[in-house]
Amino acid sequence: MKQSVILLTLLLCSSFTALPQGAASANAAAPAPTAITDTEVKNIAGPSADARAKGDPDGSLTGTVSDVSVADAKKGLTVSDIANQVGQNKIAVNFVWTLVTGFLVMFMQAGFAIVETGLCRAKNANHTMMMNFMVYGVGMLAYWLIGFAVQFGGYGANASLGGTGVLNKEFGITLFGKSFGLFGQGGFFLMQNHSYDVMVMVLFLFQMVFMDTALTIVTGSAAERWKYSAFIVSSFVMGAFTYPLFGNWAWGGGWLMNLGANFGLGHGYSDFAGSGVVHAVGGITALAVAFIVGPRIGKYTRSGRPVAMPGHDLLVVLTGCFILAFGWFGFNPGSTLGASGNGSLRIGSIAVNTMLAGMAGSFGALLYMWLRYGKPDASMTGNGLLAGLVAITAPSGFVNPVAAVIIGLVAGVLVCFSVEFVERVMKVDDPVGAISVHGTNGIWGVISVGLFADGKSNYGGSWNGVNGSVTGLFYGDPGQLAAQLIGVATLIGFVFTFSFVLNLAVDAVMGQRVSAKTELEGLDLPEMGALCYPEFEIRSGSSMEPAV
Amino acid sequence: MIALGALVTFLGFLISIFSLSLTTSPYGRLAIAIVGILVSLFGIIGILNRYYLKNPIWRR
Repeated sequence: MKQSVILLTLLLCSSFTALPQGAASANAAAPAPTAITDTEVKNIAGPSADARAKGDPDGSLTGTVSDVSVADAKKGLTVSDIANQVGQNKIAVNFVWTLVTGFLVMFMQAGFAIVETGLCRAKNANHTMMMNFMVYGVGMLAYWLIGFAVQFGGYGANASLGGTGVLNKEFGITLFGKSFGLFGQGGFFLMQNHSYDVMVMVLFLFQMVFMDTALTIVTGSAAERWKYSAFIVSSFVMGAFTYPLFGNWAWGGGWLMNLGANFGLGHGYSDFAGSGVVHAVGGITALAVAFIVGPRIGKYTRSGRPVAMPGHDLLVVLTGCFILAFGWFGFNPGSTLGASGNGSLRIGSIAVNTMLAGMAGSFGALLYMWLRYGKPDASMTGNGLLAGLVAITAPSGFVNPVAAVIIGLVAGVLVCFSVEFVERVMKVDDPVGAISVHGTNGIWGVISVGLFADGKSNYGGSWNGVNGSVTGLFYGDPGQLAAQLIGVATLIGFVFTFSFVLNLAVDAVMGQRVSAKTELEGLDLPEMGALCYPEFEIRSGSSMEPAV
Repeated sequence: MIALGALVTFLGFLISIFSLSLTTSPYGRLAIAIVGILVSLFGIIGILNRYYLKNPIWRR
């Protein structure tokens, strides 16, 4: 017993003597860092010429000190060269990321095109497809000429994309003692105000494809009775003014994003990838245009009861939904504008949130329709997937996976309720459900940031000029929800009114709706001069018989 | 009627903006923003939509 006590005491003493030593070694002053000199750097040896002459099957000889760019061949490799290469690599990674994800978003145009065309009748397929085809060109032209400058003219530099900060002209007013940025003034034609700049080019491409997504949404709600010429003018105006204006306020340095810095409301209006900026703007404009063009002939009976007008090709509708889901991997993760630095490694979380919300949305719509009508409806299930994707777009960078599923599930059910409300109560004809998928769920996405943002994201230590992470009501910040709701009020109160007035003007000048004769015949021949399916005889079913 | 509907819709937006000067409380601003949203929705659904439903195409 006595020996055990002595042994235990010795063991304990040795452990106590070990701790101070460990602590002492930890507390000992770390040696001062030694500066690396140009001479040392110059002496770093790369692979020999003999070794490289034998080829490089395992890649160990490629991508070494020999590949670092040297500014002065006479001086040789310097520390400055290495530092510059590090900076260039970071920006290059982020450029490639942003451009490739932008290419994915561009491909979403194909998805929208075939979803809308499939949900319309065959006699209008050429016209519907051509609207979605040319909205790309019309929108790009409007954005290049005017829209990009309005939206990003005062954007400044971006930490992920680097750049010289040439986009530095923002027009604003002073309201309640604070600066209210309203629109940019630099970057017209991508030349004005020194905007011919590598960073600006990347930003333009990425933002242009987002803008085009908003424009294409409107073609769905006005399909089957919108004059092609009116569509072109209306889309141009939207790409030049409506979309960029709200986009400036939310992303371009304007007043909405600065609600946090100026008025202490969370981190200001926060919309990671555009539930509000893209989808709600598109859906709300779609509602304004649907009001003006009116419902299709035959959509409602004389007593106002809605009549189903099924689309002509469900196969392309669901294929289009998959194309959109694929493209959304560019839409949301790409909005980090980089894969290196400033919290960009959250791209995996953002992509997973996107997937989960889309999945949950499809389940929400499928189950709702199955329980209510006894069958799993294909087109609504596709719209449920899209609704989930729309809703997660704003919160994707700020929430955890459980919240993503909840947001998507709510979106899937919400889109069904909204479609019924718009069609049966408001009696607004929306052939593809654009108002409900993008408008209603775009707004839900904006609100969900204010509820579910968990404060765990970190994009360079701040967001919209406010230190810390975006945090919603459920995690302790009611101010964030207030900022989001002011954004919603702006979407409903300002964007709708602005779109409505602009489209009323287009209607007054040239008329937005085709004649009844053209509409009944189908828009393909009268408007476009060619049938989409010339070898097939289009059969009119009872649902296509005009009620008038 | 169209002008009235557009004005009421826009008024809702202005109400939400003025929440920034009426109070500094985030809950207060939240409540006023909700009021603004409801006013705008009334302008759209209560005035503009009803106007278009008075003489719809399916009754012409």
